[in-house]
Amino acid sequence: MVTLYKMKKEEATYWIALAHLPRWGHLKINNLIIKFFHENKLSIEEFFHLNENTWRDQYQLDDKQVSDLRQAKTELASNAFLAESFFSQGFEIIPITSPEYSKTLKANLKAAYAPAVLYVKGNKKILEEKSIAIVGSRDASENALKFTDNIAKLASKEFKVVVSGFAKGVDKQALDSAINYKGQSVIVLPQGIMTFSSGFKNYYKQIIDGDVLVLSTFFPKAPWKAELAMARNPIIYGLADEIYVAESAEKGGTWSGVVDGLRKGRKIFVRKPEPNEKNANNLLIQKGAIPVDFNGIELTKSYDSTIAEKVSIVQEPTDNESLEAKVRAVFNGRPLSAKELLTKLNLTWTTQKLNRLLKELDFIEVVKEKKTNLYKLKGPSDTTQTTLFV
Amino acid sequence: MTRQEAETILERTFKLPKFYDEQWLTIDKILKGEKVLLIEKTGFGKSLCFQFPAIVFKGTTVIFSPLIALMRDQVKKLTSLGISAKCINSEQTPEVNTQIISEAKQGQIKILYIAPERQENSEWIEATRQMNLSMVVVDEAHCISVWGHDFRPAFKRIINLVKLLPKGLPVLATTATATKRVELDVAEQIGNNILTFRGNLMRDNFKLFVVKVSSEDEKLIWLGNNLNNLPGSGIIYTGTRVDTEIYSKWFEHLKISSTAYNAGLDADSRIAIENGLMSNKWKCIISTNALGMGIDKPDIRFIIHTQIPQSPIHYYQEIGRAGRDGQPSNIILFYNPEDRKLPEAFIEGGRPAIKKYERVINTVKSELLGERDLMKRTNLKQNQIRVIKADLIEQGIIREVIIGRSKKFEFVPNSQPLNTKAFEELRNAKLEDLENMIAYVETDKSRMRFLCDYLGDNSNHTFNNCDNTGEKKITVSITPEWSEKLQNFREDYFPELEVESNGSNIVNGVAASYYGVSNVGAALHRSKYEQGGDFPDFLLKLVLKAFRKKFGQEKFDLVLYVPPTSSGDLVKNFAVKISQVLKFPISHNLVKARQTKEQKVFENGYLKTDNVIGAFTFATPNDIKGKSILLVDDIFDSGATLKEIGRLLTNFGAVKIAPIVIARTVGGDIV
Repeated sequence: MVTLYKMKKEEATYWIALAHLPRWGHLKINNLIIKFFHENKLSIEEFFHLNENTWRDQYQLDDKQVSDLRQAKTELASNAFLAESFFSQGFEIIPITSPEYSKTLKANLKAAYAPAVLYVKGNKKILEEKSIAIVGSRDASENALKFTDNIAKLASKEFKVVVSGFAKGVDKQALDSAINYKGQSVIVLPQGIMTFSSGFKNYYKQIIDGDVLVLSTFFPKAPWKAELAMARNPIIYGLADEIYVAESAEKGGTWSGVVDGLRKGRKIFVRKPEPNEKNANNLLIQKGAIPVDFNGIELTKSYDSTIAEKVSIVQEPTDNESLEAKVRAVFNGRPLSAKELLTKLNLTWTTQKLNRLLKELDFIEVVKEKKTNLYKLKGPSDTTQTTLFV
Repeated sequence: MTRQEAETILERTFKLPKFYDEQWLTIDKILKGEKVLLIEKTGFGKSLCFQFPAIVFKGTTVIFSPLIALMRDQVKKLTSLGISAKCINSEQTPEVNTQIISEAKQGQIKILYIAPERQENSEWIEATRQMNLSMVVVDEAHCISVWGHDFRPAFKRIINLVKLLPKGLPVLATTATATKRVELDVAEQIGNNILTFRGNLMRDNFKLFVVKVSSEDEKLIWLGNNLNNLPGSGIIYTGTRVDTEIYSKWFEHLKISSTAYNAGLDADSRIAIENGLMSNKWKCIISTNALGMGIDKPDIRFIIHTQIPQSPIHYYQEIGRAGRDGQPSNIILFYNPEDRKLPEAFIEGGRPAIKKYERVINTVKSELLGERDLMKRTNLKQNQIRVIKADLIEQGIIREVIIGRSKKFEFVPNSQPLNTKAFEELRNAKLEDLENMIAYVETDKSRMRFLCDYLGDNSNHTFNNCDNTGEKKITVSITPEWSEKLQNFREDYFPELEVESNGSNIVNGVAASYYGVSNVGAALHRSKYEQGGDFPDFLLKLVLKAFRKKFGQEKFDLVLYVPPTSSGDLVKNFAVKISQVLKFPISHNLVKARQTKEQKVFENGYLKTDNVIGAFTFATPNDIKGKSILLVDDIFDSGATLKEIGRLLTNFGAVKIAPIVIARTVGGDIV
C-alpha cells in the first residue's frame, strides 16, 4: 500500500520543478513519482538529491531527461522566491501524493492524464464532496443558461459541488447560480492561479466563507492562453462525478472537451435541445452522450433513431470505477479478446466501444495474437504502480 | 577551496592580505553550502564573510538588508574594487530598479542588495525566476525576532523564503546585536540545522559616561557649553523628531556646526547628510535612531543620547556605531528620571486597544481592502493600522495579497481568534528591558561589563573604560549666563509649517510654538475648551514675533482666517488683532460651504482630507485675485485644512497664501 502524506512546505519548490518539466507530459511525470515515492519510498527532496547515475540506472532516465532534471534542480532557489510569495498570499499546492488531492480527479484521469500538482486557494474540503460539472458555449442561448441555472440549483440542493471553467456564458452561469443557491463551487482556471487577481477580488466573500475553491494546474504565474483553456477542460471533466453539457457548437472547447470525455469512457449528460435550436447537442448524443431533460433526468426513450448505442445507456455500470474494477477482476492470467470480455462482463456494448475503453485503461496492455488484439493486465511491477491511482 | 587559495583570491580582489580566523571559519562553511548565523560586533568584518564567497560563486548572491544607507555604502565600496554590486530600493526610481533587475537576470550582477519588502513586489518575483542564485544573506538578522530591539515584519517573509531554499544553498544570517534569547529565536526560526558562531562583543575603546540631570535645560546647556570640546565629530541621538529639530536650532543659535536627520526627510536630503557625515562636514548630526545603523564610518568619535533608549540592546546597537577604528570614543548618556516616560509610553502605547484590532478584523472579514481604505473604514492612524496589520499577519488572522498592482488585506478562513496573551508577554519583556536600561544608568560597576553580561557575552576581560571605573564623572552646572542664552533661544525659535504643494500657491508658514512643548498649549486649551475667553495677549506677541522671524517686513494684501467648526469667534478675534497690529486689511468672507466635523475626531490624514475637501468657499472671489494672503488659524495638525483653503484661494487667483498659527501639534499623522 502506498501511504499518502500532506506536502511539507519545504517540498514546494521541488514539486513545482517536477510538475512543469518541459514536454514530459503527465504520464512520464507520474511514472517517475510512482517509482520514487511508491516503490522506493523516497521523498521528492531525496529524489532530487540523488546523483545522476542513480537517476540513469535505477530510474532508467535517458540523457535528455537527466538534463531536464538537472536544469530543474538549478531552478529550485528561484522557485523558493516564487513559493514564498505564493504561500504568503494563501495559495496552496496539493501534490498527487497528498491525501488532499482530489480522489475523483485521480480516478478519472489516471496516471496518463492526472496533473502532478494542483494549485488551489479556498476551501480544499470541497474536493471531497460529490461533484458535477456544467459545461457549454461562451455565447450560450437563453435555454442553455436556464438549464445551467436549474442544474446548479438541483446540485446545490443535493450538496453537490458545481465545477466550472470560469469562461463566459455557461461556465459563469454555473458558478453564479451555485453561489446564488448557496451551493459550493470549484473554479478551474485556464491560467496560473497567481494571475487571477480580479477573480479573487470578486469572489472574496465566497472564498473566505468556504464556498468556492479556485484551482489551477498550470504554472502559477502563467497568463491566460487558448491552449491552457483547452488543456483545462479534461481537469473540469476529471473533477466531476457527473458531467452536464448545456450547449455545444460543432467545434470549439466544449465540443472537443465532450468528445475527449466520451473517448475516455466518461458518462456525459447532454441537454436534449428543442427542435428549432441550432447547436450540436444532438450530434453529441449520437456520439454516445446521454440526453437529459431540463431537470437533468435521463431521457431513456430515444427520440432519435439515429442514436447508435441506445441500449448502452441503461446497461452501462453506473460508474466507471466499478466497471474498471470488473475489468480488472475478469482476467485470470490469460489474455482475452474484446469479444470474450464483453461476454464475461455481461455488457451489451459494441466491441469497438470496449476497444476504445480498454485502450484508455493504464493497467491494461495490448498483445497481438495473429491478427486480433488481445488484452491483458500489465506485469507485476506495473500493477504496483497503479496503486497510487486506485 | 583551501584557506591559502582563498587568501590568494582575497589579495587579488579585495586587496586584503588574509582572513581573521573567525572570518575563515564562517567562509569555509558557506563555501561548503552550509547555513550559518554569525554574531559579531560592529567592525569585525562580517560583510567579507558573504562578499568573499559571493565573488567565488558562479551566480548572484542576494543580500536582504533593511538599511538603504548601508546598501548604498557597501555598493560604493564593492564597485570601487571592481566587483559588480548593485542595490534595489524604494529610493531609486522604478526605471533604475527595473534596469538593475534586468542586469541581474542576465547574470551581470554578483552581489545584489535588496530590502526585505521587495519580496512583496511581483516584478522582483518574476525576475528571480530567471536569476541564477548562489547564496542568500540576511543582514541585521535580529530583525527576525520580536525579542530583539528592531523587529521588522517584512523579515518574517524572508524567514519563510530561507526555509524554502533547497538543500545545499548557502545562507548567512548576520547581526552585531543579539542576546542569547534573540540568538536562539533566530536560529530556531531559520532552522535547517543552522550553525551559530558568536564572537566577542565588548568594545574596550569606548569611554562610557552617564550624566544625571533634572531637566531638559541641563542637557541643552551642557551640550552647548561642551560639545565643541569633545574630540572629533559624532552623533547625538534624541528621542523624537521634534527634539532633533530643537537641538539643531539650539546649536544653530550657538553657531555650533550641526544638522538634523530623521526618517521623515526625503531621500536626497538623507543622502546629502550621510555623505556629509562621512566627510566630517559637521561637528555633530542630531538624529533619531534612524541614522547610522550600518554606516561604515570608522571614526565616529562620540555618541551622545539625550534620551534613554528602550533597552540595553538598543543602546548597545546605537553606540556600536562609534569608534570602529578602535580609537577612543566618548559615549555619553543623559538621564533625567522623567525621561523614562517616553519609552514607557512607547511600550504601553506600542499596541493599540484590543477593540481597534477587532474593528480591523471585522472590516477585513467583510471586504478586501488596501491600507488606505482600511484606514478610512476604521478611522485609525496609519501607524496604528501598521502595528495591527503586522500583528494580525503574524498571528495568521489576515494576510497581504497582491491584486493587480495593489496590496490588499484578506481574512484567513478558520484562523484562531486574536491572541492577546502574546502582546502582554511581549510588553512585560519590554518593560523588563527598560528596567535593565535604568539599571545601566544606576550601576556603580563597570558599564561595559554590564552590557556584555546583558548580551550574553561572557568574557573575563577587566574594563577600566567608564565613569565608574576610573574615568572622571560628568556633572552639569547651570550659570545665569547660560540660562539667559537658553531663554533667548526659546523666544526666538518658531516651528515651520510644511504645506507647500504642486499646483497651489500656498507657501510654508510658521507656528509660534509647538503645542506640548511650552505653556502655549495650556493657554490654547483654556480658551478653547474651558471658556477661558479670547486667546491671551502673550500668544499674540509670540505670533507677531514668529511672523517677523519668518516673513520680516513683508506686506500682505489681506488677512483671512479659518472659519471655526465649534470654537466660536476665538480665531476671528485673534485674526482681527493681528490685522490691526500689522495694518493689513482683514476679510471675513472665507466661510464654510458645508458643515465639517472637528478635524481632531479623525485619526488619520485621509479622513481629515476627506472631511475638509470642498468644505470652504469665498463669498467675493474678486477680492482675492492677484492678492497675497496671510492665513490665520489656531492649531496646525495634519495641515489638511490649510492646504484645502490654499487650493481654493489659488483657484480664485491668489498669488501667495502664507499660513501662520499659534501652535503646531507633535506627532501628527503623515499622509
